[in-house]
Amino acid sequence: MTGWGKYVVGALIVAIVAHIVAIHAAPRLRMNIAIERLSADGFNRWTFAERVTPASRQIVRPSPDFAYSACAYDLSEGPVILAAAPWDSYWSLSLYAANSDNFFVVDDREAHYGAEITLVQRGRPHPEGASQVVESPSQRGVALIRRLAPSPETYSAAANVAREDVCASVAGLAG
Amino acid sequence: MLRQVLTWAAATLIGAFLGVASAWAALEFGRAGFTEKFGAWTHSSAAGAAGAGPYTRAIVARDGLLALSAREALYFTLSEDENGRPLDESCIYELSGPPLAARWWSVTLYARDNFLVQNNDHAGSIDASRLGLSTAWSVRIAPVRGNTPHWLSSRSAGRDFSLTLRVYNPQREFRLSAESLPTLTTVSCSESS
Repeated sequence: MTGWGKYVVGALIVAIVAHIVAIHAAPRLRMNIAIERLSADGFNRWTFAERVTPASRQIVRPSPDFAYSACAYDLSEGPVILAAAPWDSYWSLSLYAANSDNFFVVDDREAHYGAEITLVQRGRPHPEGASQVVESPSQRGVALIRRLAPSPETYSAAANVAREDVCASVAGLAG
Repeated sequence: MLRQVLTWAAATLIGAFLGVASAWAALEFGRAGFTEKFGAWTHSSAAGAAGAGPYTRAIVARDGLLALSAREALYFTLSEDENGRPLDESCIYELSGPPLAARWWSVTLYARDNFLVQNNDHAGSIDASRLGLSTAWSVRIAPVRGNTPHWLSSRSAGRDFSLTLRVYNPQREFRLSAESLPTLTTVSCSESS
């Protein structure tokens, strides 16, 4: 190839590679930012979010009717136990992988008395005796509990219930 | 030699720019494939959808990161009145809805910047726990409450505010149609609008 042709072909190859990389990286970058924010106080622990008010500016279009608890999990030291205490109105526990996929959700219709799961990285052995094992496609991700709490009173009650939630490494619990 | 190196560097930079720009354009225009209109309401099925492929996943992450799947919740947005005009604080609206076949629902008012409006009226959201699930309902959207029992405050919302309807645990009989969603009617507008 002579003249400008090789440069045009080179630019096209770079463009195709950059396009593919950008498309694959976009959701991971967004999740990385979310994981970084949620793990400011460490991994494998619940953070109970303050009630959404006009002063809340972290996430666009927030719902002021829910009490949110979030846990950035890290499976590098083995499985993590996740437990959501029951709530007398709608609640759900949802799990998001590092590429942003919502790979698991359970709500109060299926789990009347709360939920307890053992989260294991895909391909790793399941711990013996664990009741409900869920495989995470990635080592890190986000667990989110939503509890319907549209008034200040129900929000305070949800804050009390959220103290019973568990997000902890099995290795840490054993130690 | 130096000219060749510089030309390759320029070709690489142009290629990288074209690659990233085309990725941005693919996501921007690809959003339309996830958007449906039901009357004046817009519904994005991207929120909470499973990442079926890299493009879908990237659009979902941008428009609905950490959102719930459609089985758990449906999200609808309204940003125009019945005549296609942007919603405006200087107008008074009535939002009326049929009973919604769901476990719970809410309507929340957001300012143009996509956050709750900066006022202290504590009337930025209204939900089924106050309006009920089994009867038709109506909410006044206005900068002041007046004598209405159910009110969403648009005070300090300015122009171009919007509403989000969240429908949780929609039942089988819940139909995605304009008839099953609330209707907005303009009651009056002050002269400044």
